[in-house]
Amino acid sequence: MKTKTIKILVGCGIGLVLAGAFPLVDNNFVIRFGTDILMFAVLASAWNIIGGYTGYASFGNVVFFGIGAYTTAILMEKGGLPFAVAYPAAGLGAALFAVIIGLPVLRLRGHYFAIATLGVAEAMKALVQNLEITEGNAGIYLPMLDLSVRHQYWFFYYMMLATAVLTLLATHLMLKAKFGYSLIAIRENEQAADSAGINTTVAKTAAFAMSGFFTGLAGSVYAYQQAFIQPGPVFSVGMTVKMIVMAVFGGMGRLFGPLFGAVSIEVISEFLSDYFLVAHSLFFGALVILAIVFTPKGVIDMVTRRRFGIAYFLQNIREHRI
Amino acid sequence: MLLQILINGLLKGGLYALMAIGMSLIWGVMDIINIAHGSFIMLGAFVTYWLFTLLGIDPFLSLFFSVGLLFILGYGIQRYLINYVIRASAFITLILAFGIEIFINNLALVAWTADVRKVEVAYGAANFSIGHWVTIPTVRLVAFGLVILISLLFFFILNRTHLGRSIRATSQDLDGARLVGVDVAHTYALTFGLGIGAAGAAGTLWAILFPISPMMGGILTLRSFVVVIIGGLGSMLGPIIGGLALGLTESFGSNWFGSTYSDLIGFTILVLVLIIRPKGILGGTD
Repeated sequence: MKTKTIKILVGCGIGLVLAGAFPLVDNNFVIRFGTDILMFAVLASAWNIIGGYTGYASFGNVVFFGIGAYTTAILMEKGGLPFAVAYPAAGLGAALFAVIIGLPVLRLRGHYFAIATLGVAEAMKALVQNLEITEGNAGIYLPMLDLSVRHQYWFFYYMMLATAVLTLLATHLMLKAKFGYSLIAIRENEQAADSAGINTTVAKTAAFAMSGFFTGLAGSVYAYQQAFIQPGPVFSVGMTVKMIVMAVFGGMGRLFGPLFGAVSIEVISEFLSDYFLVAHSLFFGALVILAIVFTPKGVIDMVTRRRFGIAYFLQNIREHRI
Repeated sequence: MLLQILINGLLKGGLYALMAIGMSLIWGVMDIINIAHGSFIMLGAFVTYWLFTLLGIDPFLSLFFSVGLLFILGYGIQRYLINYVIRASAFITLILAFGIEIFINNLALVAWTADVRKVEVAYGAANFSIGHWVTIPTVRLVAFGLVILISLLFFFILNRTHLGRSIRATSQDLDGARLVGVDVAHTYALTFGLGIGAAGAAGTLWAILFPISPMMGGILTLRSFVVVIIGGLGSMLGPIIGGLALGLTESFGSNWFGSTYSDLIGFTILVLVLIIRPKGILGGTD
């Protein structure tokens, strides 16, 4: 094996051991914080499949999160099914929705695709707010997990960790396969990809479904953890913004970019909200603006190229200004 | 009854059209999707609110201030921020606009708290009736008239002035415009300023008609999207058709299905229009 591969493998191993041992901190608040980070790592990485690799900037990925959460709630509360059934069903439900909606919507390009997905998410939120089975705006309760408080925190942490590992592993395998190359070809030049014999409709739809599947899984764990969900929070545009910002901040179209973005943005936000109770979102906005202007290719690009400092920032600006 | 709903829809649609004119201009000329558009409308609304509350300036008169201030703000933001990333992928400017939106909303939240406020003018409830059935709120009718006036002004600027020619030239071919001596960075900034100025005007009228709060921008941005998409880009008539269409749909939709369904109807139309006629009702087929 090449030294680079070994380095990466060792890095992954260390990361996994650290993440696995994290609940030993024995502080429920911190474990919950870790769970949140992992959730956003899943969301940003799943967004990366359609937005980063395929080049279709979905602005409605939260719809899969909401569908995952509501599938779980309805199956467990109204259907009396165990979480072990609801969890995969949430992923599959979201993936199925991605196929149905993706077939027409993925024909649109650029801004139009972005706005269409945003519209789909908002329409879905409005629908859930009005449906009988979802109990509208009142929200829906889920059965409580029958464990001690401490073990509940552990359970949700490890479920989210498993989902995150699954997402990254699937993305890695996808990149090794022909499927991954098809997606990147579509991103670079869809017409050329089409002439090269790639069935672009199938590939794009599959990527959208994959993105939806993992987002749905995260929604499922989130719903069970919250034990009560409402349409407003689980279909919020803010959630979509956050996953995209994380993916872009870390570096989209890179395997570990979104993970890096999720960890750093969550830690920075937490730090800011500790020190600036009211104004932390203000700083978050400023951070997004600065990150976009100075590192549009993501922080991971800066790290892997070992290019730090003013020269790198200025080069980015020179490339994109008029 | 039916006529009343029709008129309510048209009057509201006019305001939607004004909200969307600026967004459509910025999108059409520079390919920027201004997610922060609703936040600028909110700022315009608060300019009017404060001028009225602190100085007692009539809300209709404050139109000049809100348009002027937001034009300057828009010019500055484009010139000293967005211009620096304008040649990156369109997606990057989209996220930058998100950053601006978060920043403005939270600045407003810190400065003015999340309270819902209302501009209470003496003539707010004035109305008149035509025949037995139709009641027209005077303020809304005046606002509608202003919408038409501002749209005409926009039309004039874009089609009959030197500035308008520069904007259209830049929109058609950036390098070509530069070759014939157009200061592109300046033109972009003016375009953004005009678009944001229109948002400021919409904000002022919004403040006269409805309650306002720092978080009102999000839903207004989404409605502006719907209007721009329904009307299609690239023509001054687009946002007006789109705005009236959305106003009428909401008005009739809430009458037939209940007002909780109005968002569902609006966004469903958005998605359907995108799928069936991505260039809008007016635009040609792709």
